Amino acid sequence: MYATTMDALVQALLDGDQAQAISTTKHLLAAEVAIGQILAEGVEVAMAQLDAKCTIEQFNLLEIMLCGRAVMGIMKELYPPDMPVQPTKAAVVVATLEGDVHDLGKNILKMVLTASSYRVVDCGKDCPVERLIDTVERERPLAVGISGLLTTVMPQVRRVRQRLAERGLSYVKVMAGGAALKQATAENLNVDLVAQSAFDGLHYLEQIVGGGT
Amino acid sequence: MNSLERVIAAVHFQPTDRVPVMPQVFGHAAVLAGVRLGAYLRDGALLARCQLHALAYYAYDAVFALMDVNVETEALGSTLTYHPDQYPSVRSYRLAGAAKLDTLAVPDPQRAGRMPEVLKAARILRQTVGRDVPVVGCVMGPMTLATQLLGIEAALYLAIDHPEQFADLLDFTAEVGMRFGLAQMEAGAHLPIVFDPSASPEVIPPAFYRELVLPRLTRVFTAFKQAGAPINWLHTAGMTTPILSFYPNAGVELANLDFCVDPQQAMQVLPQTCLDGNLKPLLFVEGTPAEVAAESLRLLHLFAHRGGFILSSGCEIPPESQPENIAALVHATRQPR
Repeated sequence: MYATTMDALVQALLDGDQAQAISTTKHLLAAEVAIGQILAEGVEVAMAQLDAKCTIEQFNLLEIMLCGRAVMGIMKELYPPDMPVQPTKAAVVVATLEGDVHDLGKNILKMVLTASSYRVVDCGKDCPVERLIDTVERERPLAVGISGLLTTVMPQVRRVRQRLAERGLSYVKVMAGGAALKQATAENLNVDLVAQSAFDGLHYLEQIVGGGT
Repeated sequence: MNSLERVIAAVHFQPTDRVPVMPQVFGHAAVLAGVRLGAYLRDGALLARCQLHALAYYAYDAVFALMDVNVETEALGSTLTYHPDQYPSVRSYRLAGAAKLDTLAVPDPQRAGRMPEVLKAARILRQTVGRDVPVVGCVMGPMTLATQLLGIEAALYLAIDHPEQFADLLDFTAEVGMRFGLAQMEAGAHLPIVFDPSASPEVIPPAFYRELVLPRLTRVFTAFKQAGAPINWLHTAGMTTPILSFYPNAGVELANLDFCVDPQQAMQVLPQTCLDGNLKPLLFVEGTPAEVAAESLRLLHLFAHRGGFILSSGCEIPPESQPENIAALVHATRQPR
């Protein structure tokens, strides 16, 4: 039975123990457990448990980063260089906008979404709004995620939805988060969601996919 | 009662003529004076002039000899990118890649990077305000400087993968903070506020804070106290409720609460520690004077019986804030009690 090994994988991911996670994944692959099953029953289960643990009162970056590093480690096992990652869910474009080079929040969102099988397109930091919109036009994502540490990027955030509409992309949802942006309301920022954490963003996407909102 | 007396009395829960108000006006002082932020952050004399202008304009209870959060890491060899109207950002971290801690020496505040300009600002401010107004310097807390020497992701991974190396790094960063803070006091600052946003429970778990950060922070505050600091003031960003109970053991006498912290909970956890805060910084940019006044009065009312309170923002007041909103904060403390 692989169930015990899968439980061990979930625990290793929650512990942020990359070496243990990789070795457990190798065992699962050797036992011919399908990649999709490892993702669904291992990675996604661990992410859901981490999500439940990370409340507003009890959230810390360290735990999420360690889990994220372990997830990225096993992704390399599951998808070696000659076999590119094949996400099963929609695309999300993430960016930190021009004038802000603090991209940790964006990177955390990227990790959480990647581990949840979304295809994440990263526009990087200090990204002009126009480059973000061009990327959205090319990638046709479900949503964009914008992270901001500085209040000075707010005027740019407010422009995103309008620029999307001008290119006929108003179906794309806009999520904002990060230390500065989460002080504001969605209405004030002209976005669909102000996320208090990366998991907030994930819940929102799952709602859209599930037909919510 | 002058501002310094008022602030010290509030910190010791003694009667004051009014509640002190210390909005964290840093780069906003440049904007208010019509000076480019990029120039303000590299010129101690200009910074002091702008701070004094802001003090005269708003009539609050402190001035800040404080540039930005990157002074120490730059003095240690990280390179920054400067912008005309924004705070600088780190372009390359001194300890990124294979660089070793033992290649670093504690910088001399009289010579390294912009540290001498910070000291110049403290000197001018103190010469001007004397013992009337607190002159507040600033040092980075041990955890924050560690993350600024490595980058936050690399620093956190080092803490887990090589805890002994990380502990050595924290010893070093605490030493840097101590030496820089003592130099600021020698130059004229009454006290340095310790900024440790990376030590927030939003970044590291409370047990990590207790075991690794707290002992170093205690060392820093002990040194400041021994050098005559009238107040040990700590700012940790974000939802700090889980670590507030550690503060008194570290020697913290004044704790800045970020906007997301419930002040009533903080009062319960810290019954004998003066608290300052905690208006949402964005309110000063996007709110109205009426909203700032209402929020200020709510806090003043909340602390009216307990005392041990200084009205302030939860974190820095953004440079682009509306002056009438800061004026409304200050004005709230002038209302009849």
